[in-house]
Amino acid sequence: MSVALITSLMIGSFALSPNEILEILFHPDKNPVAWSIVVNYRVPRMLLASITGFVLGVSGGVIQTLTRNPLADPYITGMSSGAALGAAVAFVIPFLPIYAIPFFAFMGGVSTLLLCMLLAKKANAGPIGFILAGIAVGTFSSALLMIILALVSEKAHGILNWIYGSFSTSTWTEIKVALPVVVPATLYLLAKARDLNLLLLGEEHASQLGVRAKTLWRLTLVASSLAVATCVSFSGIIGFIGLMAPHMVRLLVSSDNRFVLPLAGLTGALLMLLSDDLVRSPMNPIAEIPVGAVTSMMGVPFFVFLLLRRGSRFGM
Amino acid sequence: MVCSIVVSGVTVRFESSVVLDGVIFSVNRGEVLGVLGPNGSGKTTLLRSIARAINPTSGEILVFGRPAWDYTEEEYSKVVSAMLPNWPGGFSMKTYEIVLMGCRNRSRNFWWEEEEELEVAKEALQLLGALDLFERDFDKLSSGEQRKVLIAKSLAQRTNIILLDEPVAYLDIKHKLEVMNVLRTLAELGKTVVVSLHELELASGYCDKLLVLNRGKIVAAGEPRSVISEDLLREVYGVEAEVKWDGDHNYPLIIPKTKKIPKEEIVCLR
Repeated sequence: MSVALITSLMIGSFALSPNEILEILFHPDKNPVAWSIVVNYRVPRMLLASITGFVLGVSGGVIQTLTRNPLADPYITGMSSGAALGAAVAFVIPFLPIYAIPFFAFMGGVSTLLLCMLLAKKANAGPIGFILAGIAVGTFSSALLMIILALVSEKAHGILNWIYGSFSTSTWTEIKVALPVVVPATLYLLAKARDLNLLLLGEEHASQLGVRAKTLWRLTLVASSLAVATCVSFSGIIGFIGLMAPHMVRLLVSSDNRFVLPLAGLTGALLMLLSDDLVRSPMNPIAEIPVGAVTSMMGVPFFVFLLLRRGSRFGM
Repeated sequence: MVCSIVVSGVTVRFESSVVLDGVIFSVNRGEVLGVLGPNGSGKTTLLRSIARAINPTSGEILVFGRPAWDYTEEEYSKVVSAMLPNWPGGFSMKTYEIVLMGCRNRSRNFWWEEEEELEVAKEALQLLGALDLFERDFDKLSSGEQRKVLIAKSLAQRTNIILLDEPVAYLDIKHKLEVMNVLRTLAELGKTVVVSLHELELASGYCDKLLVLNRGKIVAAGEPRSVISEDLLREVYGVEAEVKWDGDHNYPLIIPKTKKIPKEEIVCLR
């Protein structure tokens, strides 16, 4: 983890050695340009990537528990498509400032989530109903998104760039906006890890054992979705971390949420940093590959590996 | 004296079918009540209603004089524990993790289990002769072993009322007796036990009172000797059998009259 953090400071359009970084950090007056690059761009980028990875990992574990579906991740709630749709709308509306995009994405993500919860409640089919509603709403907003892309083809590049996800525009402002939402939400989820274990048994057994199952279900869903929506609205859509990280911990350590949630957070942060480092590596001279593409590249083989192993040990 | 459980006129309807129909009974402190009845007679639904897994369509359930649904989840989990069917599988957990889940209701620590809780879990497994399963993967146990672990989980809740749905299913005779002996002693310690059973002899030998359900209605209730009869077997279970009571224990001897199926009836399965 710390290696990835340091690497993240070193890599960029001009490379720095660890010693140079230390020198830059502690003697800002010697090389003000380098200091400014490291402090104003690389440090916030590193922090935002770690925070996003952590949030995606924790939320993935939580949502897999809530839906009792080992293949669920923050995106099965339809949130990614909703957020992408929101971002696309922001691109299309003329004269909107650029920082309206995260806000629209956030609104899009949260409103698809609320719609899913409403539909699932009407359907009264429990966790399965929630997944089905998520798929339905997600597919519908993807369709809308494609129509928008087709209609405004000249702006499609900007929209797609956001959808694929990137930390290239990270600054301290985004971190300041994200932390007040993300920190309390994540702490709440971590604190509820033991009760979430009981929720894994389903509402009936969980209430029987003394957990306010319905309330806990709703609050943890809202907390994880808020955190994810906030991060995703800055970084764009980043796939598979939420699915991968919790399963790595389950396969390697335990499926007790008290291990899964914090460790999945750390794993997610690490994966995200590595992906982001890879994206910025010198092998990639012209433009940055979208980080979402890299996480998916790493995620798909793992996903297949999980599917193949499902028969034996795979599960919650 | 306030009864532990009073069930008054409880009816449960699933869409158009009536699963429980105006069931009325009460259980006192320190009693073991056996709920009997053929498959689909409503035994499980009755236990699930008392455990609040189902909200009855009409009627009321009082637990220590207070309507069951007036308790919060936290309060209820300290009063009533239940071993209900449909325990979800599919996640890898150790046996002790399952039993420790029962301790959540009294736990002061929201994150880790306390030393005392581990002691509770160990004692519960020990009582049921399952301490050797402590570190095993729950999913890899046999059905009988899983049964014992789930009973231990209910006992670990340390409640005054214990509801068990077919606790001795899948168990061999030694473990069947072991489970019933534990329940008997817990009742002597002042707990109230409601247990659904298919084993008539065992129910008769270990329960203070029996309650027989058929198609959602109570068809017989009372002391074992007055309940288990040749008429009951015929009318409720559709079985012709001779019932003998021998000595001063409560174990009936049930000798079924064998009904031979003529070979001609088997046509396609040959």
